Amino acid sequence: MFYAQLIVNGLVQGLVIGLAALSITLVFGIARFPNAATGDTMTLGAYAALSTHTVTGSIVLGGAGALVAAALVSLLAYFAVFRRLAERPVVALLVASIGVAFVLRAALAVIFGHSQQVFQVPLSRPFVFGSVRVAPLDLQIAAVALASLAVVFALLYLTPIGRQMRAVADNRDLARVSGIRPGRVMVALWLLAGAVAGIAGMMLGIKTIVSPEFGWEMLLPSFTAAILGGIGSPAGAVLAGLVLGVAKEISTPVVGFTYKIALAFIIMLGVLLIRPRGLFGRVEGAR
Amino acid sequence: MTTTRREFMGTIGAATALVGAPSIVRAQGQGTFRIGALCPVTGAGSPFGSGMQKMIVAAADAVNGAGGAAGRKLEVVSEDTQSSPQAAVLAAKKLIDVNKVQAVLGTWSSGVSLAVIPLTNEANIILMNTSGAPALSVPPANAKGLSYRFQATNERFGRAFAEICAKEGFKRPATMAFNNASGIGNTEGFRKAWEAKGNKVVASVVYEPNQPTYRSELQKVLAANPDVIVTGSYLADSTIILREWYQSGQPVKWVMPGWAASPDLVKATGPDVVEGIISVDSISNEEAPSYKAYDEAYRRATGQPGQSNVYAAMTWDMVHVLSLAIEAAKATDTAAINAKIREVSNPPGQQVYTFAEARDALKNSKINFEGASSVLDFDEHGDVTPNFGVFFIEGGKLNRRYVVRL
Repeated sequence: MFYAQLIVNGLVQGLVIGLAALSITLVFGIARFPNAATGDTMTLGAYAALSTHTVTGSIVLGGAGALVAAALVSLLAYFAVFRRLAERPVVALLVASIGVAFVLRAALAVIFGHSQQVFQVPLSRPFVFGSVRVAPLDLQIAAVALASLAVVFALLYLTPIGRQMRAVADNRDLARVSGIRPGRVMVALWLLAGAVAGIAGMMLGIKTIVSPEFGWEMLLPSFTAAILGGIGSPAGAVLAGLVLGVAKEISTPVVGFTYKIALAFIIMLGVLLIRPRGLFGRVEGAR
Repeated sequence: MTTTRREFMGTIGAATALVGAPSIVRAQGQGTFRIGALCPVTGAGSPFGSGMQKMIVAAADAVNGAGGAAGRKLEVVSEDTQSSPQAAVLAAKKLIDVNKVQAVLGTWSSGVSLAVIPLTNEANIILMNTSGAPALSVPPANAKGLSYRFQATNERFGRAFAEICAKEGFKRPATMAFNNASGIGNTEGFRKAWEAKGNKVVASVVYEPNQPTYRSELQKVLAANPDVIVTGSYLADSTIILREWYQSGQPVKWVMPGWAASPDLVKATGPDVVEGIISVDSISNEEAPSYKAYDEAYRRATGQPGQSNVYAAMTWDMVHVLSLAIEAAKATDTAAINAKIREVSNPPGQQVYTFAEARDALKNSKINFEGASSVLDFDEHGDVTPNFGVFFIEGGKLNRRYVVRL
């Protein structure tokens, strides 16, 4: 049952990676550039949740704080930076997003300092199912992640703005001539991408510790998941996050704990060689 | 005469530097010896750095007050490493090239010392550090034998861990190490010392930084049913690991280095999680008269007790050892000083505790300087063997139960 426990461990971290990858893939699908500020938006969400939690003592309000703050800052970054560069090449946007990331991280470091901070949540003994132990905290985190995913997918597939977002993602010019206003879609996108990153940041913060660098350090695995899932595919991003999380943990009896990180990149390499569009990606023709 | 643009810029630059530099640069007299105080004033080392720097200045004042080293006044030029190797290299370059310091004192953390040591070697000057990585003992880092370490090596920490585990009656230790020179140095030092006692380590894990969870790592270690887990870890990873361990509900004891199991750790996890953890840190040479002198100087400079900063006692000692070596050498070139450092601080010789006392004793006999941080006997690698305090975390407080001498 050693492996069952490893799978559980992997699933929980996979959900965090998956949410971050979802934020990346949403931006990539619609705004069409890899947003390197996603990691630091997560950090911002974690600090917002931490502050709200410290003041109110409520983890639910903390989550709301993370969601609102990260969504607003993400929108602000769009208006201040990304909208102005919208017609520039992808590289310009990528570099600009790295700049946004630096600014966010530096601002957080100045406000909150460099030393680590911790969510003061009660630690409790695990539930035992057979020989598999699951921490109550992990179940709560998984529930929050699944709820966030449900909301995002409902938004994308059941609401008019979601339909418009998907239309823009499919074909921007066609969407425009069909009467979809890209401005509104972009506002919705950045709010949504920010909120998802904020929630992911809070979840990671509760599980681990919060420091100004901690979101940035999650960026690489999250990008890997976004690519593995097929860029622009929300379902693919989440699934790929889970696959990566589980694969990393399952591999540890064989490759050890030092090289499990490399495994994520080996998987990505394999996918890029064999199935360049990722698990759920579509082949994009030249336009 | 024509002047190329490059020469012109060079001249302008030099002139600007000269005008901008403090007066001591221009007035480099015959009677001075210049020391670079390169401490972690900001960044991860900031709880210690400013005290370390102040003690270099205070010790230099004490030496100057007694007439200087071999009649030369010490001058201290201070810089901040920001606890980062990159910033430390820039600061060290400035100290060496612009300020022309003749020794660099006070680097903290292995990454910083390992980054600075090629520069001091290149400039052929002495580096005195407070870092633990085993790599600092040997070539290539210490190829010229110009580096002296005032902190215990990680390997000695490991030996102290083994002594403690034996004393506490643990039978089945496991190890967990952060994947860097310092973390693995701790647990490997422990393993060697423990196996030399004829025992076995039941499981060992080396883990990566910045992971969202360490549950699988813990699972592997805990599956071997250890009665104690010995770590080479830091604050952030220890926080995550201990919280996850506590949630697993499996009872086990922990032995951790003091920089991980600190009051900050108690604050991060709450007192219940860390109850009973054994925290091990090198401690100062607290009964020695030299410690009393340091303690007074530290209280005067910072308002805190000397015990609150083991690294400041080390930097206090650095200035003393260096000055005595200059005094004994009656010269200021590196080779002459370097040849005398062990002679003035190691036995045999009359035990001395302050600069003035040591200088007078030096006229008649050999001396053995006993420092505030440890008895300061440098081995062939320039390493010392301090004593280790064994602290038990009880009710959220670190209580020192006993001292381990290697």
